[in-house]
Amino acid sequence: MTVFFQQVVSGLAAGGVYGALALALVLIHRATGVINFAQGEMATFSTYILWTLTANHGVSYWPAFAVTMLVSFVGGIGIHQAVIRPVERGSQIRVVIVTIGLLLLLNGLMTFIWTGEIRAVDSPFPGGTLDVHGVVISYRDIGTIAVCLGAVVVLWAFFQFTKVGLALRAAAVNPAEARLVGIRVTWMLGLGWGLAAVLGATAGVLTAPSVFLDPNMMQTVLIYAFAAAVLGGIDSPIGAVVGGLILGVGLNLLGAYVDFVSELRLPAALLVILVVLLLRPAGLFGTPQVKKV
Amino acid sequence: MNRKLTFACLALVASLALGATAALAGTARGTSDPGVTSSTILLGGTAPLTGLASPYASVSRGADAYFKYVNARGGVNGRTIIYRVVDDGYNPALTVPATRQLVEQDRVFAVFNSLGTSQNLAVRPYLTSMKVPQLFVASGATTWGRDYEQFPYTIGFQPSYQAEGWVYGKYLARTAPGATIAVLFQNDDYGKDLLGGLKRGLQRSKAKVIAAQPYDPTSPEVSSQIAKLKASGADTLVIFATPTFAVQAYTFAHKLGWKPRRVINNAVASASTTMARAAADGQNPLVNSTISIAYLKDPTVAEWQSDPAMKLYRTIMARYAPDANADDPLHVYGMAVAWTAVDALRKSGKDLTRAALQKVLDRFTAVGNPFMLPGIIVKTSGKDHFPVEQVLLQRWQNGAWKSFGGLWGYRAS
Amino acid sequence: MSRTTLRTLLVFVAFAVVVMVLPAFVNDFRAQQFSYVGIYLIALIGLDILTGYTGQISLGHGAFMAIGGYTTAILMIDHGVKDIATIPIAILVAGVAGVLFGFPAARLSGLYLALATFGIAVATPELIKRFEGFTGGGSGVNLFGTPELTASLTPVRLAGVELNFNNWLYYLAWTLALAGYVIAWLILRGRTGRAFRAVRDSETAAVSSGVSLTRMKVIAFGISAAYAGAAGAMFAIATTYVNPDTFPVALSIFLLVGVVVGGLGSLKGLVVGAVFIQFMPLWTQSISKKPGAPAVVYGVILILVVLALPGGASGLVSRVTQLVRRGQDFPKP
Repeated sequence: MTVFFQQVVSGLAAGGVYGALALALVLIHRATGVINFAQGEMATFSTYILWTLTANHGVSYWPAFAVTMLVSFVGGIGIHQAVIRPVERGSQIRVVIVTIGLLLLLNGLMTFIWTGEIRAVDSPFPGGTLDVHGVVISYRDIGTIAVCLGAVVVLWAFFQFTKVGLALRAAAVNPAEARLVGIRVTWMLGLGWGLAAVLGATAGVLTAPSVFLDPNMMQTVLIYAFAAAVLGGIDSPIGAVVGGLILGVGLNLLGAYVDFVSELRLPAALLVILVVLLLRPAGLFGTPQVKKV
Repeated sequence: MNRKLTFACLALVASLALGATAALAGTARGTSDPGVTSSTILLGGTAPLTGLASPYASVSRGADAYFKYVNARGGVNGRTIIYRVVDDGYNPALTVPATRQLVEQDRVFAVFNSLGTSQNLAVRPYLTSMKVPQLFVASGATTWGRDYEQFPYTIGFQPSYQAEGWVYGKYLARTAPGATIAVLFQNDDYGKDLLGGLKRGLQRSKAKVIAAQPYDPTSPEVSSQIAKLKASGADTLVIFATPTFAVQAYTFAHKLGWKPRRVINNAVASASTTMARAAADGQNPLVNSTISIAYLKDPTVAEWQSDPAMKLYRTIMARYAPDANADDPLHVYGMAVAWTAVDALRKSGKDLTRAALQKVLDRFTAVGNPFMLPGIIVKTSGKDHFPVEQVLLQRWQNGAWKSFGGLWGYRAS
Repeated sequence: MSRTTLRTLLVFVAFAVVVMVLPAFVNDFRAQQFSYVGIYLIALIGLDILTGYTGQISLGHGAFMAIGGYTTAILMIDHGVKDIATIPIAILVAGVAGVLFGFPAARLSGLYLALATFGIAVATPELIKRFEGFTGGGSGVNLFGTPELTASLTPVRLAGVELNFNNWLYYLAWTLALAGYVIAWLILRGRTGRAFRAVRDSETAAVSSGVSLTRMKVIAFGISAAYAGAAGAMFAIATTYVNPDTFPVALSIFLLVGVVVGGLGSLKGLVVGAVFIQFMPLWTQSISKKPGAPAVVYGVILILVVLALPGGASGLVSRVTQLVRRGQDFPKP
């Protein structure tokens, strides 16, 4: 039984990271209707900023963390204004290609600046573990899960209760009418990207202490994040995190109890994407889209 | 009017195309054996300069630095070595055209130290049929030495993964007779070869592998596999992984509170830099006392700091690869292979032909490679075409590797 | 025959002539690189039919290439089938796979379809590794030197001309590419092509006009997969080696890149797209070998191309010809 719970716990921790990145994907999709294939690389880039501040410039953790989040926010807005805005109203395919170009660009840039060597990153949470009836839970894992759930709550509150949040939602749903009401739509969309970049940075910073930092750190995580976002509903923040947690736990349990799945985690995650897309494209928490004729 | 314009455009396009392609036409052919002139030897190879495996580019960088050093001191029998490395991004589909380019367009003398198992497998029959030496393949797959008769132009270098696993197995059989062993291994030929070797080494001993968990290189992390291994109750953890995952194995094992009696980590992942990463400033006690093998001198090991060969290594790196991180032991690997290549080329004589090189490699003994651990000999003979088969065991203690015991020799069968 | 058709035909014939004559002017090795351009062109034509003309995004066409490639490899090694003979079979197998995938895929659209096809691309190398007994797993299948592979060891005689391996590959690839181009052109200017465009432009309008969305999407998937299968088969023959890593996710992504660079919804620019996929990585490496730098250059160029050229290469050509024509029709002041 401890095996079961142990797998659940590590699954929740892994799933928290998928969920955090999925949250960023969902945010961008809700705000701008774009699937950002470069989300993982943006997150890794932010993590590198944290690392270089703490390791190379002797900045202590929390100030470095704050700077990282700020830089990520500004960077996200910048990327949106520079390369996404020109194409976001056109064909979706072109936007996809732009984000792919961004992926290649960022990955190459990280390798160029910091090389492919693996780096160690500090964790915001203390090391050490709790032992609950033989199941080992590390403070880092608890912290990761807590941060992800917290992020969803904060985001939800932001959208529900603040004027800016409302403006963002309006801009995403109907840009033309939002403009009529005086909302600066372009800035709202940029804001969405900025927030998503911060979320991605959070995911990166949470996972790097365990999996270690290198330019490709988030590449496979991105795929799992896609699966999580689809599972939860590509437009639902709560769905993203819940989807991530379910995916993390589910894959772990499958891997633990069904032998051949160990090597087939990735296809299993993708099968999830496919099945969900076919049966219920809106995901667990999304609203089914109705096409008006 | 329109039709004339159309035809004019077509003619322009056609002539541009022809002109451009004529300009692209290739170089003149050489005489005698390709890649050898009176003053140069052209070696070529493929390496993952970009992509997921780009850390392994250090190997070719180290070799290149060594060749430049040799060139500065007169070269090999009066010829300078030109070493051309082409990027294949670790994708065998790119290795094939790149290798064909080296052979057919650049006309290299030999394909040297191309990196990767499937990458070299992809071009092996081609190189054999073209009679181009596939020299000192950068991969520990057993097939290079084992299938020598079928592919006589191909020769490996490092101890094969099976040999390495076998040494661990024999070591455990000897020192921990009742050990229960849990293995994390990468789910490809590399990990499977190591595991196979381990099991062979354990034959006829009471130590047993009781759990083996594969992981796919595309997994984001291996916490689940480690949890499963811990649950098996084994007292020995064996890690057959690449650096990122090996470090994770340590981290997750520690996180889960698993304290196996002993840990073995394979050579690919046991560079001092990686071990230091895993040790996390002393916070991870599992790293201490880890056993691994070594056949090269590690540049960060205190034992070799005052060693003249390692001093030479640092000098060469500083002079010919100043932007590279000299602490990265893959550079040493590159230099060790380059040294061996230079030795083989030198022994092939002033009248350098592929046939002469092949003859040398058939019965080759190279003693005193400065970059390898003392006593290790590069040797091939008769049916044995595994150049390096000796290793030392080493133990990680207080932040550094310390070798112990004598040389272990593996006889490939 | 209308004037535009005549003009298209003339351009095509001129192009075909250039292609056929090219190997006489370049060395072997360049010919080999240009054969890959031809191979990619086949795949791009197929993908353009699906994505450019029918509006269905696919980020997974590398998987259909893999199906074609492995069909060829397995037939050659395990069943002694000659390389050319495997191509129609590879086309068929991949086409069937495309049709089968088309049915569920027809229910998805836009980004959901992109994600689903992306999933296929990522899963394919894993699945190939999984079914090791059948596919040779990670070690792959080597075709070089086998009797079923034409010209790999000794030149082949064709119509009185002796062709070595590189030239043989070149002519085989480009014959397929040119034939595929003509077939695609015929399909696209007919009723099927119009139905495809209708699906792309407005599904509602298409349905109202009596076009069956599912049927058209399935057909589009089938045809494009068949093209990818042909490209994959040729790819296996040219590379003489297949393993899971020879059909990575990057391949699927670069195919879509090639179609966008060439110009979605138009065939004539696709050659540029194929040249881009084949030569841009090599070109960026010649600028700088420092790790990471080529990728940065590639990414920047890609973004610039998409931003600056909405219609890709064919859009650029159209604009230029329009300018030229406008310059002709209006007398200068």
